[in-house]
Amino acid sequence: MSDIRTIRFTLNGTKVSKVVEAHETVVDVLTRKFDLSGTRESCRQGLCGCCTIYVDSNPVSSCLMLAWFLDGTDVRTIEGLADGDTLDPVQEAFIEAGAFQCGFCTSGFIMMVKHLLSENPDPSDEEIRHRLAGNLCRCSAYPEIMDAVKIAAAKARSVAKARP
Amino acid sequence: MTEVFTSVGRSIPRLEARDKVTGRTEYVHHLRLPRMLYGKIFRSAYPHARIKSVDKSAAEAIEGVFRVVTIDDIRTVIPHPYYGPAFHDQPILADGKTRFSGEPLAVVLAEDPSIAEEAAGLITVEYEEIPAVFDEVEAMTSDVLVHDELKPASTFADLKHLKGRKGTNIALDHKLLRGDPEAGFAKSDFVFEHVFRSQQVMHTPMEPFVSVADVTGDRMTLHTASQGPSFVRIEIARLLGWPENRVRVKVPFLGGGFGGKLYIKLEALVTALSLLVRRPVKISLTMEEQFFMVTRHPCTFRIKSGVNKDGKIIARTCDIAWNGGAYADIGPRVTQKAGFTSAGPYDIENVRIRSSAVYTNRPPAGALRGFGAPQTAWAYERHMDMIAEEMGLDKVEFRRQNLLRDGRPQASGTILVDAAIEKSLDKLLDIMKWNQPFDRGSGRIRRGRGIAVGFKGITSPTTSVAIVNLYADGSCGLFIGTVDMGQGSDTVMAQIAGEVLGFDPTTIKVIHSDTDVTPYDMGTLGSRSTFHMGTAVRLAAEDAKKKLAELAASVGMVPGSNQPISEIFERRYGMRAGNVIGVGSFIPEYQKPDPETGQSLKVTPFWGVGTNGAEVEVDMETCQFTVTKLVNVADIGRPLNPKLALQQLSGAGIMQYGFTTTENMIFKEGQLTNASLADYKIPGLLDMPREWINEFTDSIQHDGPFGGKGAGETTTIALSPAIGNAIADATGVQLMDLPCTAESIFQALKRAKA
Amino acid sequence: MEVAGLRGFDIVEPSSLEEAFGLLGTGDPAVRPMGGGTALMLMMKSELFKPTRLVSLRKLGEPFHGLGESADGKWVRIGALNTFSMLDHSPLMKSHFPIISRTMNTLANLRVRNVASVGGNLAHGDPHLDLPPVWMALDGEVRIVGPSGERVSAVADLYKGYYETTLEEGELITELRVPVKPDWKSSYTKVTTRAAHDWPAIGLAISVQLSGRQIQDLRIVLSAALDKPTRLTAAETVLRGRDIGEALLREAADAATEEVELETDNRGSQEYKTHLLRIYVTRALQDLVSEAAPK
Repeated sequence: MSDIRTIRFTLNGTKVSKVVEAHETVVDVLTRKFDLSGTRESCRQGLCGCCTIYVDSNPVSSCLMLAWFLDGTDVRTIEGLADGDTLDPVQEAFIEAGAFQCGFCTSGFIMMVKHLLSENPDPSDEEIRHRLAGNLCRCSAYPEIMDAVKIAAAKARSVAKARP
Repeated sequence: MTEVFTSVGRSIPRLEARDKVTGRTEYVHHLRLPRMLYGKIFRSAYPHARIKSVDKSAAEAIEGVFRVVTIDDIRTVIPHPYYGPAFHDQPILADGKTRFSGEPLAVVLAEDPSIAEEAAGLITVEYEEIPAVFDEVEAMTSDVLVHDELKPASTFADLKHLKGRKGTNIALDHKLLRGDPEAGFAKSDFVFEHVFRSQQVMHTPMEPFVSVADVTGDRMTLHTASQGPSFVRIEIARLLGWPENRVRVKVPFLGGGFGGKLYIKLEALVTALSLLVRRPVKISLTMEEQFFMVTRHPCTFRIKSGVNKDGKIIARTCDIAWNGGAYADIGPRVTQKAGFTSAGPYDIENVRIRSSAVYTNRPPAGALRGFGAPQTAWAYERHMDMIAEEMGLDKVEFRRQNLLRDGRPQASGTILVDAAIEKSLDKLLDIMKWNQPFDRGSGRIRRGRGIAVGFKGITSPTTSVAIVNLYADGSCGLFIGTVDMGQGSDTVMAQIAGEVLGFDPTTIKVIHSDTDVTPYDMGTLGSRSTFHMGTAVRLAAEDAKKKLAELAASVGMVPGSNQPISEIFERRYGMRAGNVIGVGSFIPEYQKPDPETGQSLKVTPFWGVGTNGAEVEVDMETCQFTVTKLVNVADIGRPLNPKLALQQLSGAGIMQYGFTTTENMIFKEGQLTNASLADYKIPGLLDMPREWINEFTDSIQHDGPFGGKGAGETTTIALSPAIGNAIADATGVQLMDLPCTAESIFQALKRAKA
Repeated sequence: MEVAGLRGFDIVEPSSLEEAFGLLGTGDPAVRPMGGGTALMLMMKSELFKPTRLVSLRKLGEPFHGLGESADGKWVRIGALNTFSMLDHSPLMKSHFPIISRTMNTLANLRVRNVASVGGNLAHGDPHLDLPPVWMALDGEVRIVGPSGERVSAVADLYKGYYETTLEEGELITELRVPVKPDWKSSYTKVTTRAAHDWPAIGLAISVQLSGRQIQDLRIVLSAALDKPTRLTAAETVLRGRDIGEALLREAADAATEEVELETDNRGSQEYKTHLLRIYVTRALQDLVSEAAPK
C-alpha cells in the first residue's frame, strides 16, 4: 500500500525512472518532472487531445492517466517524433499545409495523425474526420489539418513505393 | 501599373512553424521559475452575496500550504486594489461582496499545485445572499445594483462624466443621431420592428489564461499570456504606484487569445501575490475556470426601420443592451465601437442609436473577435431579410439598393473609403451561384440559403511603435509589441520589414514582447495589427534604410552598390560593431465623436468588411439541420501573406460558426451549468460544413502598409445571420435568438403552427 | 463541502481476487476498484469523487481478460478488462456484433477507447454512456464476483438509478457474456442535438428478430434522457408478433413516449427529446426492417 513509488519506463527511446505520487497524472509528470513542454493539458477531460502521447504505441490522453501506471511501458511524446533534425513526414506535412495557427493543439493532432496513418495509409475524409473528432483546435485550422493528413499519407505512400 | 513585391504578398510559412510541429514553442503555460509558488483560486458560490466571513484555517493547516490570501492581505501591498481598462471596478479578489458566481475570493499558495488545489477546497465562506439581476434589459431599470457607484478609469476622457454616478447599472450609454428618425418613420410607407438576442459565449483558448509574476528588488517582472503587454505594464504600474520602468512584461507565443487575453486579467492578482510573498507566483486557470474570466457580451437588440414601398430605407433606430456582467472590462468600448455601426452597412438618412453597457451578476464580458459587431449584425441582417420577406422584395436587391458605398457618409458621418462592400457581395453571390436554380429539397428534407453583409469600425485612436535593428553583420532584428497568438503576425511583420529592406523575411528575427526592450503597442486586438503595427514596421524599416544609406555615404560607399551591409559597418567602426536603429511610430487620424450625436469626420482608420453565405439542410421532422455550405468573402485590402490571411478568415468563420450553432453558456439562477468542453461545445472536425469557402476581394487599402489591413475578424461579423437567414429560407420560421439549434427550430415551428 | 484536489489517496494493485476483496471491503465508499480508470479520473478531476484508495484490477488474472466464443458457439465471453479498442479490433465481435464497432465510431475518442474497459464502463452507472444500452438490447449478462461468492446478472438489472448500480461493496464484474443470435439485427442511434461529437440527447439501442416484416421478438432500450438505461417494454409489447407498418410504428412510438418521462437538460427539453424519441424509434425500426428485408 503506498501513495508514492518509483516508476521505470522508456521515454522517447531512453530508459528513465522517476519517483511519483499516486495522484500525479502523466501530463503533469512529463511537464514538471521531465521538462517536456510539447504535451499540454488543456481541457483536463481527455476530449481536446492536446495531451496526446503514445503508451505502448497506442495514443492516450495523458491528462486522464496516472503516472503510477507508466511503470514498464514504452512512452513516446511529440519530442520523440523527429529523428534529430529530420522531421517526421507528418510534421513536414503540417508545415506544408499550414495546419496550425497558435500551435498549442498541434502536438496532439500530429500524434493522432501519425497513428492513424500507421493503421490506415490511405484514409478517406470520413475516416480522418471521425478519427480526429476528439481533437479540438480553437484557431480552427481544420481544413488545413485535413490537407496535412492527405499530404502526409501521400508522402508515406511514395516512400513505401520507393522502397525496393 | 502593378507594383512588384519581393516579400509581401507571398504565402511563406510561419517563421516559427518548425517549433510548433516539434512541440518546442515557448508558451507561459509551461514556464517554471526557481522558488515559484502556484496559486489556486477559491471562487464564490453565489452570484450576489455579502461576504460575512472567510475561514482559511483548514486550508492553512494543510502541509505544504505557504499562505492563504484574501483581499485584506492584498490591501497591504496594493491599497486600492481595483483595476480595469474602462472602469476601476474590479477588485483583485472579492471585496466585501461577490458580484458573480465564480468570482475569485481567495487564493492558496503552495509549491505543489495539487496541494494548493486541495487546500482551496477547504476554505469556507459565510455569505449573506442578496437579490441578483442577470438579464441585461431587466438590469437597465432594476433596483438591484451591481455596483453602488460607477468608477470610470480616468484614462478615457469620454467616460469622465460618469464618475461618482450612483443608482444605475448602466455603465455607459453610447448615443448617435443622424437626421430625424421619428420624422422618417412618419413618412415611411412601412415600419418594421424586431428584437434579437445573442447568447453568452467564451473564447476558450486551448492555452488557458496563465500569468507569472516575479518581484525581485524593486522590479516586477510578469510573464503572461497577454495580448496587450503595454497596457498590462501601465495598469500594474498604476496599481503599484511605481514608474513604468520598474515593471517588465514579457509575452512569448500565445496558445490562442481571440480578445480574451486583453487588457488585464490574472496579472493584477499574481503581481499582488508575488509582492506579498516575495517569490515568483504562477496562476494557471483550468478550462473550467476560463468561463469565469471573460466572455462575449450577450445582447438584446431592438431594431426598427421605416421603409418606402420601393424598398428605400428611410429611417432606422437601434436600441442595444449589452450584458457586461459584473465588471465592465472593455465593455464600454464594445458598446461604442459596435454601437456606431449597428444600423448596418446601409445608407440611411435618419438614424438613432442607443447602445448601453449594463452591469449584471454574470461573469464579466469583454472583447471577443469582432468587438460586438457580430451581435449587431445578427440583428440588422436578420431584420433585413425579414423586411424583404414581408414586403416581397428580393433579398439581394433590397440590400443593394440601400448599400453604403465609398464616398458616402456612414451613420457616424465618417465618409466610407476603401470599403469593398458591394464588391464583396458580388463575389459572394458569384461563388454561391445565387442566380442559378436552387434545389429546395424534397420530402422531410428542406434546403434553404441565405446571405448577410457586415462591416465594422476599428478602435481608434491607437498607437504602435516598432524598432528595426540592423546588426553589424547585416542581420536584422524586429522589435514589436504585437503578440503572435496564432494569427501569424511575426511572419507578416517580417515580410513588411523585408520588403522595405530588401531582406528575405525568413532571415529577420522578430523579438517578442518584452516591455523593457520592445516599444509601445496599444494591443493585439480588433484587426488593428496589420494596419497599425504594419505601418509602424514599414516606417521603422524605412528609417533604418535611410540611416544605413547615410552611414554608407559617410564611409564613401556608393548608394545601391552590391556590397554587403557588414562592409559598411566595418568601414565605419573598423570592425563588425555598431547598430543602425530605425524607429517607426504610427497613430492614425481621428476625430472624437460628438457625445450626443456620435458624429465624427474620422471615427475609424479603416473599415472591416465581410459578407457571408450559407446553405442549410433541415430535417423538418427532427428539426436537426446541417450547414452544407458556407462561403465567406472579406475585404482585407491587399493580402500580405495570402495563405495566412485565408487561414484567418477560415478560423474566424469556424469560431463564429460555433457561436452560431453549438456554443452557449447556460445559467441557472446565476450559476453556470456547462463550464467544460464536454458540455460547452466548440466546433470539431465533424461539425465542419462540407463546403467551406473563403475568399478575399481584389482590394487595396490605400493608406495601409503595402495596401493591407486587418483580417482577423471580418468573417465573424455576418456569419450568424447568413445561417439564420438560410434556416428561415428552408423552414419558413424566423429565429430571433442565438444560438440556432435544432430545438429552437422545433419551438419556432410549433409556435408557427399554433 | 467537498474536498477538492487529487491528493491523499493510495493505489494498490492486488494480484488475486482474495487480496482484492480484502482491500475493497473496508466500508469506505472512497475506496474504489479501477479498470481503465478514465471515468474515475474524470470524476476525480471534476471533484465529484475523492478517493482514499484506488484498487487497480489490472494485475488480476484470467477471469478479467480474454475475449472468445463459447465451445457451443452460443455466446461470446468478454473479459471485463478488455478495452473498447480491443473490442473494436476483434474479428469475432465484428462478425457476431457489428453494432459494436458501429457504436465505437462515435463513442468518445480513440484515446479513451484505448484505455476505457468494458467492465468499468458497465459499473460506472452514468446513464449517458453508449454501450450499456447496447449490451442490454443484446441480452448481455455479467458475471460478478464478490467476497460472498459469484453471481450472474443481466446487464438490464445492473442499474438502479443515476450513477447507482446493484453492485454490492467489494463486488467486481469479471466478464460480460453476450448471446450470439444470428437471426437478430440490432442498431444503436446516438442522437446529438448540439455539436456532432457530444453526449447523446437520447440513445436508442434496438435489437429485433424478424421474419419478413413481422417482428418475432425485440428489445428497445432508451438511454441518456432517463436516470438509467431503460427497456421500453410497452413499445416492445405493441410491436411483438406484428407486421411493421406505418400505423403500427405510430402506435409503438405513442407507447414509447407514454411509458417514460424524459429529463430536461442542456441537450434539450423534455418536450423536444420526447419528440425526438418518437421519430427515432420509428426510423430505427424502419431501418432495421429494410436492412433485413429489403423491399
